[in-house]
Formats: sequence, structure tokens, C-alpha cells
Amino acid sequence: MKEEKIFQAMAESIIEGNKEGAVRLAREAIKQGLNLNEVIDQGYVPGIQKVGQLWEEGEYFLPELLTSAECMKAAMSVLEPELTKSGVTRRTEGKVIIGTVQGDIHDIGKNLVASMLSANGFEVIDLGADVPLNKFVERAKLEKADLICLSALLTTTMVGQKRVMEIVKSESLGGKIKVMVGGAPVTQEWAERIGADGYGENAMEAVKVAKLLVNK
Amino acid sequence: MKPIKIENFKVKVSPEDIIRALGLTKKKTKKKAELEKIIREEEPEIEQLIHARGIYKIIDWQETNCHPIFDRAKKVALAICTIGSELEKKSSELMKKNQILQGLILDAYGSEAVEQVACRLDQIIAEEAKKLDLWPSRRFSPGYGQWDIQEQAFLFKILPAEEIGVRLKESFMMEPRKSISFRINFYSTPDPLAGKSMCLKCKMKNCPYRKPRVLK
Repeated sequence: MKEEKIFQAMAESIIEGNKEGAVRLAREAIKQGLNLNEVIDQGYVPGIQKVGQLWEEGEYFLPELLTSAECMKAAMSVLEPELTKSGVTRRTEGKVIIGTVQGDIHDIGKNLVASMLSANGFEVIDLGADVPLNKFVERAKLEKADLICLSALLTTTMVGQKRVMEIVKSESLGGKIKVMVGGAPVTQEWAERIGADGYGENAMEAVKVAKLLVNK
Repeated sequence: MKPIKIENFKVKVSPEDIIRALGLTKKKTKKKAELEKIIREEEPEIEQLIHARGIYKIIDWQETNCHPIFDRAKKVALAICTIGSELEKKSSELMKKNQILQGLILDAYGSEAVEQVACRLDQIIAEEAKKLDLWPSRRFSPGYGQWDIQEQAFLFKILPAEEIGVRLKESFMMEPRKSISFRINFYSTPDPLAGKSMCLKCKMKNCPYRKPRVLK
């Protein structure tokens, strides 16, 4: 298969949510000795971008987004070890520390955002749920992360997001590490009130805002 | 009255409810048909993960902590129900294995299942009220309106929740997550809202969780 056709098939595998196809094509690309950064940028990335566009147009819903994200992740899990082996550094959109704040055990929404960020080229470090507040900042410093994403599902736990913002400010990290908040009771107004850099209403919105924040 | 434990709840979740909860609101799509097939195929296995249990106790108003939520009640029924932790553990495992959509389907199934258990327990308690020649209110949970989430502590003081495997965390959230706690007041005159889905009053007409039906 010609390079161009392989790239097109890769994009289609992501758009159609064909996990087996996405993985098979990734293996094929390795076998053919293709430039793997080009494979990702010209094959799979246009696919996930198209999925985002279809979602914005109201054609795709959450299940389609997630299936495509799974395909992207599956293809990347084939390609990434090969990139590492050949000593090629993959440029990511940015490094993200994500988790649900202390006291809150809900992790579904956070998992969806983590998956969509990962599928859209971010390196994601997921700390899980009920995460001690200072751990977000400690880990972000350790990993030299670009962004911290804080999830909270209750009005009683969203104050944890405010507390993390206070820690960020007290350590003079404001602006250096961006902070994004989300969760059912969280609003743009709340994000502004606590001085967060961004707010994502849903998983795809979170990807858009994250891209804007890391490129600022 | 001693607490009453019920363990033989039958739960039957329809694929349509899950699909609606996943945000697929369009009438017919390829993905919708695909999802319905997946849910139907996996239903027997999912049902094995559900261990529905409930516990309730009817107390006199004098035995309450006199919170305004119990005002005018002759008696009060306090209740907790759950579907156990197996389903949510499986959902987390799937998400970790990059089967995000499968994990989300399980989670949505669990939410619907525990809601059904709460409805059934609600009906059993309503029957108890009738036996006492009293009128049941609709059910109400801590964390809503004027009833602070911290009031969970009172429910857990009265009810031996550990007998159905439910634990209250320091943040007043319950473990397993798929658990519901509530109160039903017993009045001497009929409550006009009793038995009616609050969704009927809600302005969010396109909410995926909207329940148009009136509970019998």
C-alpha cells in the first residue's frame, strides 16, 4: 500500500472506531519502515481531529468519541515503544497531571477527559480519585508538567480546586503551570473566581481549552 | 422498630435507558444499534455484578435530630440501598484496560440499577406508611436543597449500613459509589408531590437522565 493510502486508512480507522484496523495499520507502518512521527501526524491525528469536528457538528456523540479515543490509544501503544527504541522523541501537545480532588471518589468524568486528552496528543499522568491536594502540585513540579486538571463532582469537594489554586499561588507557580477545572457543579464563573486558567464543560471542550492553555 | 434489611431486589435495566444516559439522543444511528447489541449481549454478565440490597428504619419524629427536613412528619423512614461494589470495580478495570466505552456502559447501567432499587425501596416504605394510616412524602437525599450532605452522618447513626456493605467516608460520600440514601416523611395528610418524578417539574427538557414517567 502506498504511504498516502496507508495514512488515509489510518484516519478512517480512527473515524470509524475500528480498533483492530488501527492496530493492524500501525504494525504495517513499522514493518514498512515508515517514519513513525509522520505516521502519527499524517495518519492518525487527522482522524481524531475529524472525530472532534463531527462531534462539534452534532454528528458524533460521547460513545463515538470514546471508541475513537480507544483506537488512537491502541495504535499509539504499538507505535510508541518503536519510537522509544529508535531514540526518536515524540513531540506531545503537553504534559498533564489529572485527578479528582481529595474527598471525592468519582472518577468517570475524569477518566473521560484523561482519555480524550491522551487521544489528542497530550501526555497524561492520571493520579486517580480522592487525591491529596498538595500531591497535584508536587507531582506537577516533579514531572515539569504544563497543566493540572482538577475534577470535582460535588459542591462540597469543589472547594478542593480552590485550595489547589492557593497552593499553586503560594509556590509562585501561577502562569508556569496552568490549572484547568471541571466537574458537574463547576462553572466558568467558579473557575474565574478561584483564579483557574481554564474550565472544560465536557471532555472535548477540555481538550480545546487545554490546547489553548499550553500554547499561551 | 428494628431496621429491616431487604436483599431480594430484582433489577432490570433497559438498553434504551443506558443509551440515553450515554447522551445518544438521536432516534436511529449505526452506533445506537451497535451499542444496543453490546448491552444485550453483555446483560447476563452485568447482572451477575449487581448485588442489590437495602435497609430502612421507621422512627418517630422525636427520634430525629429535628432538622427542618423532617418538619410536620409524624414518622420518618430512613433508608440506604446499594448494588454493591463489584460492578464499579469492573468498570474501573475496563477503563484502565483502554475499554473506556465498555467501562462507561457498566457505570451507566449501575446508576440506573441503583435508582431502580431506590424506587422499589421507596414503594415498600410507602406501603408501610399506608399500614400506619399515614401519607408518605417523596424521597429526598442528603446533599440536595436545604439538607446538607453532612446530614448523612445522622442516617448512618440510625441505620447499620455495614449490614448491606455500605460505608460512609469522611467526605460524607458512600462506598460503594452506587448507593443511595434517603428519607421519606410520613404525614397525617397527603403530600401532593408524593410518587411523582421531580423530572416533571424540571426545565431541563433534554437532560439524558430525564424520567418522564410517574412512579406508581
